[in-house]
Amino acid sequence: MITVRNLHKSFGQLEVLKGVDCEIREGEVVCVIGPSGSGKSTFLRCLNRLEEITSGEVSVFGTNIADPKVNLNLIRTEVGMVFQRFNLFPHMSVLDNITLAPGKVRKVDKESAKKQALELLRKVGLSDKAHAFPNQLSGGQQQRVAIARALAMNPKVLLFDEPTSALDPEMVGEVLDVMKALAKEGMTMVVVTHEMGFAREVGDRVLFMDQGYIMEEGKPEQLFGNPQNERTQNFLSKVL
Amino acid sequence: MLSNIRWDALSQYFPLFLKGIVTTVEITVISVLIGVILGLFAGMGRLSVHWYARLVPNLYVGFFRGTPLFVQILLIHFAVLPAIFGKTPPAMVSGIVALSLNAGAYIAEIFRAGIQSIDRGQMEAARSLGMSQGQAMFNIILPQAVRRMLPPLGNEAIMLLKDSSLLAAISLPEVTYYAKLMAGKTYLAWEPYLTIALMYLVLTLVLARLVKFLERKYGTV
Repeated sequence: MITVRNLHKSFGQLEVLKGVDCEIREGEVVCVIGPSGSGKSTFLRCLNRLEEITSGEVSVFGTNIADPKVNLNLIRTEVGMVFQRFNLFPHMSVLDNITLAPGKVRKVDKESAKKQALELLRKVGLSDKAHAFPNQLSGGQQQRVAIARALAMNPKVLLFDEPTSALDPEMVGEVLDVMKALAKEGMTMVVVTHEMGFAREVGDRVLFMDQGYIMEEGKPEQLFGNPQNERTQNFLSKVL
Repeated sequence: MLSNIRWDALSQYFPLFLKGIVTTVEITVISVLIGVILGLFAGMGRLSVHWYARLVPNLYVGFFRGTPLFVQILLIHFAVLPAIFGKTPPAMVSGIVALSLNAGAYIAEIFRAGIQSIDRGQMEAARSLGMSQGQAMFNIILPQAVRRMLPPLGNEAIMLLKDSSLLAAISLPEVTYYAKLMAGKTYLAWEPYLTIALMYLVLTLVLARLVKFLERKYGTV
């Protein structure tokens, strides 16, 4: 579904990704863990080219999005993204947040967009918040709306950029529950996270990144239970 | 002093002042509207990543912010527009062109600041949903930016209202023009100038209240 080959990304002089290779298969939940500054968020943001790709290949559904001529908007309709800081549109109601892109981009008519939005809100447990504004919601509720907003485009894959890192501890659970339910339905997900419990329980595969490389990858039981790389061992000993 | 006021002369000219103040308001409203459109494009142009898209707006804003409005009015009325049309245009045309261009330059900076004040995550969220740069700008960024721009836009409108008095220099019959007319004919000074000062004051106070009201209604997201 997504194939990354020798991906490099530099910000000026600073090389953040130094040659990343990986494959995301359909229906897989891939969790990306690693210390801050390891390049995991940058890696994720290269998958829908929110960051310009310095060199290498990122092939999404067979299209190399590193190619400057590619129609990014079209690719992005299929690749949903959930941000650490939610990034809901503060001047719009929850319902409008969710229906805006389907209406403007997919040209879905108002009625069916609204119907789908209400369905998605039910799914994330926020049926009663359709007419609320983002600043009236808690962090956990905002993030669930953000997930519903991404789902409204019917993406083939969802990217999560530390979706629970900006949340108060008591709200982490409600967001992870929604993500677990999505995983169970077979949604393809790439999740950058510090929630080791989630990675272990829900992840089909875990990538450990450090210093701009994928240092180690494997099934969660293997990577958490018996890490091979010294840096992985070191990192896990600090966070577990 | 109050007893020395020539009420008779004032009442004779007052209808002209009223006529003039209507023109003042008309010119201000039209120039603010055109200025907003010019400012929107110039402001967005200045934010472009392409140097050739920034070039013209940068020159435009630089010139109109860096030279006196009074000089701009004279230049446009007596030099630029006659060179284009072959004859001196009606003062109303020159006045609107000069004030709009001047307002547009300042409003461009207001737009630029407003757009830049919106969190980068808003654009990223919109783009990640497949919206184009333009769709994101018009549906997500500008509606939020405009709310934050209301106070400086209100200021600009007030400035413009007052600065329109400079148009008396090209004999545009706005309120200051009639005050000068009265002063010239009657050799009075207090009566015409204090009167129109109060008229301007009333209008700017009303405008300030209007902006406050709009801020309360649409502001703070």
